[in-house]
Amino acid sequence: MEASRDDFVIAIRSAFLKKGNQQRFSLLTLILFSIIFLILGNFNFKIINFNKTVIKEIIYLSSFIVTIPENGIKKSFNNISNHFDYYDDYQVTKNELQKLKDKDLSKQIITFENIELKKLIDDYFVEDSQTYAKVLIDKESPFLRSIIINKGSKNGVKAGMVVYDDIYLVGKVVEVNFITSRVLLISDINSKIPVTIQPLNIQGIMSGLDKQKGNLQYIKDDKLINKNNEELIVVTSGSGGVFKSGIPIGKIDFTDSSSKKNLVVKFYRNFSQLIYVKISSNAKKNIDLDSSNKKNFEINKDKILKINDALEDIKLLQQQKIIAEEIRNKLETENTKLKENLINAEKEITKKNKNIQKNKDKNENIKFLELNLLYGHKCRKSFFKPTLFNINTNEYRACVFNEGPINKN
Amino acid sequence: MINTNRKINSFLFRYTPVALLYITILNEIDFNNSEFKYFSFNFVYILIFYYSLKRDGGIGYIFIFIAGLFNDVMNGIPMGLSSLCYLLLCAAAVYLRNITLRPNLMKDWLFFLTTILFLNFITFSYLFFFFNYEANYFDEMINIIFTFFFYLIFSYLFKTYDNFILSRYN
Repeated sequence: MEASRDDFVIAIRSAFLKKGNQQRFSLLTLILFSIIFLILGNFNFKIINFNKTVIKEIIYLSSFIVTIPENGIKKSFNNISNHFDYYDDYQVTKNELQKLKDKDLSKQIITFENIELKKLIDDYFVEDSQTYAKVLIDKESPFLRSIIINKGSKNGVKAGMVVYDDIYLVGKVVEVNFITSRVLLISDINSKIPVTIQPLNIQGIMSGLDKQKGNLQYIKDDKLINKNNEELIVVTSGSGGVFKSGIPIGKIDFTDSSSKKNLVVKFYRNFSQLIYVKISSNAKKNIDLDSSNKKNFEINKDKILKINDALEDIKLLQQQKIIAEEIRNKLETENTKLKENLINAEKEITKKNKNIQKNKDKNENIKFLELNLLYGHKCRKSFFKPTLFNINTNEYRACVFNEGPINKN
Repeated sequence: MINTNRKINSFLFRYTPVALLYITILNEIDFNNSEFKYFSFNFVYILIFYYSLKRDGGIGYIFIFIAGLFNDVMNGIPMGLSSLCYLLLCAAAVYLRNITLRPNLMKDWLFFLTTILFLNFITFSYLFFFFNYEANYFDEMINIIFTFFFYLIFSYLFKTYDNFILSRYN
């Protein structure tokens, strides 16, 4: 019994204390170093933070260099696959562009109106500072979904700044080094984002679920969602003040939601395809409601009203135009029909005129024959009446119709 | 010429695991958090455990320590945690080597499972109690299971590679 305990102790001691060939430190020393690192990491001393920042910078840059070939392959693969999708994308984009063009005017007006209303309730944020950054490393960890960007405190990046891809929310800056920063993606399980489900206007909290999806929690009024059948969009609610309200995140994916209480949000953007991101901080626009501002509000209100009126007029005119076009089309069709009818009628008239002419000729001949029987002898030339006319001459015909020779007296 | 070849083979034999370790940690393709929902495994654990078990001195404790720091920074977890886990894994492997007279793959395999369960327990406990990290336990369970199963495959591959290099070396 004692011998086996001795063996155990010897084995453990050998494992922890024995230095291998060309080893400078024993395992125990390095384990102690690790524990010291862990403990020091919890203190917020300037020198520790500085050292941590330096180590992080070195590691990020080495990782960036190591991932160059991999990123090159990925990029080439994406380019090739994108190339094959271009035509289909073009058709879809073309259709979408047409639809968006139609919606654009209304959207501009609504945006303008929205800004004015937000100003009124003191919830209007303006972009305080804005910078673009390149994604250096997109390494996913089981504990943290984040990206490393090539802008740090040197470029004015601060912890808490909001990160966008185009207009869509990507995450927020959680760690700032001198020339790099770490961005916590909204797909991370620890990112709790206050959101609003539109158009139902239901509040909730979203946390990450996987790369492309988030999970909605603490939803109020889920009965409304149960009744709903239309597409539901998830945007930031602005609660808590970290994110401004109305930043688009994604839409609710009912096909993936196991129940309507456990709602899944499908993000608009694919976070594994990020190349450049926009970092911005938001600040509330300070507005003092003095008389000039009130005047501005009034002017803007008038403008909005005028624009709304103009929009309604345009809509009316558009409707009138549509009706007028319909009428014109109908008239054109009728006109074509009438033209055809006219041509047919003209043809019939010509036919009938010809018949009339024929009948006239016929009647004249019949009359001539009748009169010829009665008065032909009075007009016919003979031995005894040499002054009269030969048959089949016009004079004879005239004589018959006259019922005898024309009396010259 | 023969000396140069020997030197190259010796270098390959010694530093291929180190290169693999660092490339795995620094690269964006990470099997530890793969694209697939139900598939992931910790390649670094397999690599460190295998080489610490099979070679005297393993990959090199200092290399493993630094690799742990790199991994912490890359994954955004407190610095020192991965180093601690990797070194404990080394310690477990060295202890197993010390007490083993006749190496047996099944014993190594089961010891590996016990060790990675213990290490994951340490990681989660630390992250949960000190940093309030919220981890997905189901994903981690899958990760542990696949790491456990893949140990067999990778130990075979590593053994084949080592034999190949050693045959050229001799």
